[in-house]
Amino acid sequence: MNEFVNALGWAGLYGVMALSAIGSIIGCAVAGQAAIGAMVDTDSGYGRYIGVSVMPSSQVIYGIVVMFTLQRPVTPESAPALFGIGLLAGLALLFSAVRQGQACASAIHASKTKPEIFGLSLAPAAIVEGFAVFAFVFALVLAGTIPG
Amino acid sequence: MADSHRYVMLLSSLPYHGPLFGAKQTPLSRIRLDQRLELLEPEDARCLEILGQLLDWPKQDRERSDAEAMRWARGQVEAITHPFARALAVWRLEYRSLIAALRRRHRGEPAPLDAAWGFGRWLGQVRRNWSEPAFRLEGAFPWLGEANRRIETGDALGLERLLLGVVWSHLDRISDGHAFDFEAVVIYVMRWELIARWTSYDAEATERRFEALVEAGLAGTDLSRIAA
Repeated sequence: MNEFVNALGWAGLYGVMALSAIGSIIGCAVAGQAAIGAMVDTDSGYGRYIGVSVMPSSQVIYGIVVMFTLQRPVTPESAPALFGIGLLAGLALLFSAVRQGQACASAIHASKTKPEIFGLSLAPAAIVEGFAVFAFVFALVLAGTIPG
Repeated sequence: MADSHRYVMLLSSLPYHGPLFGAKQTPLSRIRLDQRLELLEPEDARCLEILGQLLDWPKQDRERSDAEAMRWARGQVEAITHPFARALAVWRLEYRSLIAALRRRHRGEPAPLDAAWGFGRWLGQVRRNWSEPAFRLEGAFPWLGEANRRIETGDALGLERLLLGVVWSHLDRISDGHAFDFEAVVIYVMRWELIARWTSYDAEATERRFEALVEAGLAGTDLSRIAA
């Protein structure tokens, strides 16, 4: 039984990074494709399209930081907390990265036609980023209370 | 990639078309559009191709009888695998059948005896209410009465404007929730077709006007003397 609990602990420890990486992969791919499409249709502003398309990469950085903060000897006492925090923070980061990628794709698509709304069109992506930061910060706060 | 964002690159590479009646030309040429549509999956490309064969007037075989055309259309509709594209094809064919009914009645033809002349679920209703201005279909098609009035008064331009506007509004309605998926591609291509049709009318009118002016300018001039 202890081995199974420890395995869950390891899954939580690495899961937060893996899940956030999956989210960033999908988010950057969606926004990146929108950026490429916009570059085909326009003659300028390439840099800002690419800049927006990498916004969902922040989630994997948060995931790596949470993983290192959680890192400690995996014991039957610490493993359940590692699993809970790691898995749920990972899922929050995954979904936020995917949705942020979609918001970035829409922002690129809209600002291609109306460059004057570029800044405003990024507001939804920035709000999603805020929620990812919540998940990140409170995972760090709770990581400090794990025994072991 | 989620289905909702399957064609994010394709759609981002297509320029915004703007409103239908404000357009002076299509947002991009047919050649460019076809090049961009090469990014479609083969099955989706096939659906779009069938939709084009069904709805583009230049692709219609004018030698076919009504019954043959309807048989062919039913076969084509069945061959469209994507439900959204199929529903749009059915809507357009039903809409065209209603316009055809208005035109037939205007020509003085009696109510059709069979269903071989049109497509869809309204044929019976049209036959039963042949003498009513809008076949008692005003509830489902509020524009039908106005279309009838314009046919009766011979307002061809106004009628075309009304009919293109009806299709454009329908595309607006069904585009909700479709930003980067196949449905959005279908809607874009349909809108491109409408803009191409509307702007080509203007080009034809310009050509006619130009020819009339040239003829007026050359009236009374002996061209044989200039050639000599």
